[in-house]
Amino acid sequence: MAAPRYRTPPSELVRLGERLLPRLPGDALAEVRQRAWRRFLAAGIPTPRVEDWKYSRIDALMAQPFAAPTATAPAAGTVRRAMAGGPAARRLVFANGRLVAGQSHVGGLPDGMRVMGLAEAIQHRPQEVAAAFEALPAPGPFSDLNTALAADGAWIELNPGVRPEVSLQLVFVAVGEPSAVITHPRVVVRLGAGARLHLLESHVAEGEGHVLTNLVAQLQLAEEAALVHERLQAAEGGHALVGRTVVELSAGARLLANVATLGGAFVRNELEVHLRGEGGEALMNGLYLPRGREQVDTLVRVHHHAGRCHSDQFYKGVVDEQARAAFAGRITVHEGAQDTDAYQQNRNLLLSDEAEVDAKPELEIFADEVRCSHGATVGGLEEAGLFYLRTRGLGRAQAEALLTYAFAGEVVARFRDGKLARQVRQGILARVPGGAALDPEGLVA
Amino acid sequence: MAMLDIEGLHVAVGGKEIIRGLDLAVEAGEVHAIMGPNGSGKSTLAHVLAGREDYEVTAGRVRFLGQDLLELEPEERAALGLFLAMQYPVEIPGVSNTYFLRQAVNALRKARGEPEMKPAEFMKRLREAARQVGIREELLRRDLNAGFSGGEKKRNEILQLAMLEPKLAILDETDSGLDIDALKAVAAAVNALRTPERAFLLITHYQRLLNFIVPDRVHVMVDGRIVRSGGKDLALELEERGYEPFLQEAA
Amino acid sequence: MSTAVETVKQITEREYQWGFVTPVEEETVPPGLDEEVIRLISRKKGEPEWLTEWRLEAFRRWKTMEEPRWARVHYPPIDYQAISYFAAPKQKERPKSLDEIDPEIRRTYEKLGIPIREQEILAGVAVDYVFDSVSVATTFKKKLEELGIIFCSISEAVRDHPELVRKYLGSVVPPGDNFFAALNSAVFSDGSFVYVPPGVRCPMELSTYFRINAAGTGQFERTLIIADRGSYVSYLEGCTAPMRDENQLHAAVVELIALDEAEIKYSTVQNWYPGDREGKGGIYNFVTKRGLCKGYRSKISWTQVETGSAITWKYPSCILQGDESVGEFYSVALTNNFQQADTGTKMVHIGRRTRSRIVSKGIAAGRSQNTYRGLVRILRGAEGARNHTQCDSLLIGDRCGAHTVPYIEVKNRSARVEHEATTSKLSEEQLFYCRARGLPLEDAVALVVNGFCREVMEELPMEFAVEARKLLGISLEGSVG
Repeated sequence: MAAPRYRTPPSELVRLGERLLPRLPGDALAEVRQRAWRRFLAAGIPTPRVEDWKYSRIDALMAQPFAAPTATAPAAGTVRRAMAGGPAARRLVFANGRLVAGQSHVGGLPDGMRVMGLAEAIQHRPQEVAAAFEALPAPGPFSDLNTALAADGAWIELNPGVRPEVSLQLVFVAVGEPSAVITHPRVVVRLGAGARLHLLESHVAEGEGHVLTNLVAQLQLAEEAALVHERLQAAEGGHALVGRTVVELSAGARLLANVATLGGAFVRNELEVHLRGEGGEALMNGLYLPRGREQVDTLVRVHHHAGRCHSDQFYKGVVDEQARAAFAGRITVHEGAQDTDAYQQNRNLLLSDEAEVDAKPELEIFADEVRCSHGATVGGLEEAGLFYLRTRGLGRAQAEALLTYAFAGEVVARFRDGKLARQVRQGILARVPGGAALDPEGLVA
Repeated sequence: MAMLDIEGLHVAVGGKEIIRGLDLAVEAGEVHAIMGPNGSGKSTLAHVLAGREDYEVTAGRVRFLGQDLLELEPEERAALGLFLAMQYPVEIPGVSNTYFLRQAVNALRKARGEPEMKPAEFMKRLREAARQVGIREELLRRDLNAGFSGGEKKRNEILQLAMLEPKLAILDETDSGLDIDALKAVAAAVNALRTPERAFLLITHYQRLLNFIVPDRVHVMVDGRIVRSGGKDLALELEERGYEPFLQEAA
Repeated sequence: MSTAVETVKQITEREYQWGFVTPVEEETVPPGLDEEVIRLISRKKGEPEWLTEWRLEAFRRWKTMEEPRWARVHYPPIDYQAISYFAAPKQKERPKSLDEIDPEIRRTYEKLGIPIREQEILAGVAVDYVFDSVSVATTFKKKLEELGIIFCSISEAVRDHPELVRKYLGSVVPPGDNFFAALNSAVFSDGSFVYVPPGVRCPMELSTYFRINAAGTGQFERTLIIADRGSYVSYLEGCTAPMRDENQLHAAVVELIALDEAEIKYSTVQNWYPGDREGKGGIYNFVTKRGLCKGYRSKISWTQVETGSAITWKYPSCILQGDESVGEFYSVALTNNFQQADTGTKMVHIGRRTRSRIVSKGIAAGRSQNTYRGLVRILRGAEGARNHTQCDSLLIGDRCGAHTVPYIEVKNRSARVEHEATTSKLSEEQLFYCRARGLPLEDAVALVVNGFCREVMEELPMEFAVEARKLLGISLEGSVG
């Protein structure tokens, strides 16, 4: 008999959900939440026999005895260190998924831009929130869990043509608690026609602990809207992040999605992009640097539904010690999506014989007027590069560190926010072997 | 004793013998040119001297400034004063040209027990050297060799030469792929770097580089050996007659 | 340009040229599968007890297994009880010499362009002729025997070389490996056996030509090739079937074993009946092919040109166990009309400094679906392993699909794995250029497609390359439009 593809959810997780579900606000959402909850119970937790979870090992993660979060506010210093987006940036701060109003600042926004916590949105516009929850395409178990139990998050709306000069940063702080906690923040962003937004998303940790952040972000771009979304996952230690981002682009809309994952016990970044109108563009860049026993999954799905769109994926990883990294990227060009340009690159540096890299770059093409390509590599450092640096007097360790840094730095060069990029570069130096010994002056600009 | 002294050198690459008994001595202040057809082992010699690990020295010895060169790591050779300007310099996106040079200069100083160069002084020297070699300042800020044209890469190698101040500079086919103006500029930069203490080993396929950098000695390398040595006129003879007579001699 | 495209459509409505039926009286086992049928097959072939048991064991395994369902391959359920598992032309006994072969069967192979003769066209190739479930002839046996090379049907090998068969049968593809391999192990009828002794370089191409003739049957051949230390052999496989409205199942197993410094080159030109323009009929080609590079510096190279079959599901693979062993996979898969192909390879690097190279060219036309699916796995001990994969897809028309699904799994840091893939359409510019130089459109398409496949075609032995090139052109007829 074949092994099951999904496992029954751990009873502690189920009990926690059953207890929370009836207490969540917003009657209009009750029906949507119940359906999602039942779907979650019926499906269960995916095992590696489910194709999209082939390289993920999450049994131990999910078997933790989760409790509901109780943390109220992180230390001011934690938030300050995470700040990015320039001095005038507006900010929503979350402690274990809950909005911390006292540390958030979203005043003085231009007319036509509304930013609020999801709890507030549920209170004031429950129907719209329900409709947004319902609209999430092809939900999986984690998305269903989020839909069922999302209590807070961010609700962001820009009217047509609104182009704020300041960026907006979401800071998710994983605050260590005595027991493991699971949180389900939900982010909804709607950009009207021609609107523009620079959205930063930082995940940081405070104190030891096991916080699993099960995040769902729904980003909707109307015609000619433009969004820069940059995520830094820096909540290291025992914390975990399962983040699914779904982006819908109308005609002429543009997306730049950058993600850097420094660490975390288990991190899964799912990005699903739907190019639904002609002339859309999606540029996606990612970097992951797991070490120790960390695991990072990257799952990218780009759907070209309409013609004349352009998409480009550029993902790199440096994997050390006993860490595992998996990259699964897929370009789907649907029937009729003629005149498509779609590219994908995945490059991995494997630094240890105990580490593992799995890559699955896929093309799925149902139209013929296309220019599509992908490339994937896994290997160690290039000997030619090492030799070159050493003939100039650099020692082997320094040369290796510098080449590793440079390998990762190529992704950071595509980040838009200078402060966030600096944080990533510092993270690289802290993580790559010998990086701490490199002269940061001139590298972390 | 000569600055560089090679005796009976044999080198194999992937099990195949490329250098088959080579002798060469270079004195401080001299400029030697090694000429030879493709596949004669010229570039292999350059890389072996710089310390490429996948090239296996099967016999012979090399002394540089009195030390057994073959015992040393590539960075130790650099610290001792050996520099190889490569035919195909490696591109390293993500590390700026300036940052890299500063690391290299300081690594060499550290190995020699000297203090690090102050950033201001480094920048001053770098600008001077860039002017001398004819490198635009913009190129200093760009990533190391990334997206450089062929000529820019070669000039950047000479810039490194100027900054690292080696005792022996090996130029591996620095002339290849250069148009005549770029060639003249590179040659002028090299000539400006000639001192009584510094030796050069020019490795080239063609004679034309030697019109601009006049060598003291010319060696013809065929099939992993030096088959003829002479003064600068030997290069002209080669230009006229080609390598054919030497190939026959070797056979 | 559309006029050009129209022209191609009209050029010819030539049908599958190998679709005739040979009027030969055949003995067929009634449809259905149970232990009795397996015992019957085994008895008919006069097999020893151990093999009968081996088959029965495989059958028992098969009954517990689930038929695989693949994401991109669609077909109605197969009724395994409606298939006849054995069909053979009636003859008293296997002919002693080539002259005694049934004239109808002789004519069949004449028509297919591979006459049963040891001269002229096929002078450089020894051929084993498999007609439905049995081998009907093998040429050049004597000449090969002089060198110690065994080339015969697997039934003969079971009788004459039981120690070799018993040692290696199922050693690379175990009976329980997958659903179709288990089925094959239970019911395999015939196929070829090759053994090349140490240090011998086989002087001619060895070839098997598979022909399905009877209706309502499946074909389950089994091929076993062993290259002993320092030997070399090049083997070719060709196949055709009559046009029938029903789908017929072909579930073969091929096992290759290369010992120290031995090399096996295995080439396939697969041209089973693909079904008609509406997608009716055609062969289901579900094949398990695997090679074991067991020895130091051994080498196995798969080359395939897949133009036929309604559905192709095959992943000729290499287990690179010996240090410095080499695996290669060169593939052209062309689908037209309603064909589905899901093909690729697996390269499993176990030994040190093992190398593999994959070149896959997929061409999709009509309403077909063409998928490359491949696995490159570098195990922890595979110090210094190397892989390079190049996967290109060509689309002809906007109703077809071309997909690339590579899996890369690396556990050794000194390994280097590189995968590249591209997808594009047949270049109108190239077609126009060829036509402006006077080539008719049909030739222009064939030329461009052949150019796209050149890297793979160059790997085919000469005798087959010409045939394969023609096949590519014919299979594409009527596809541009």
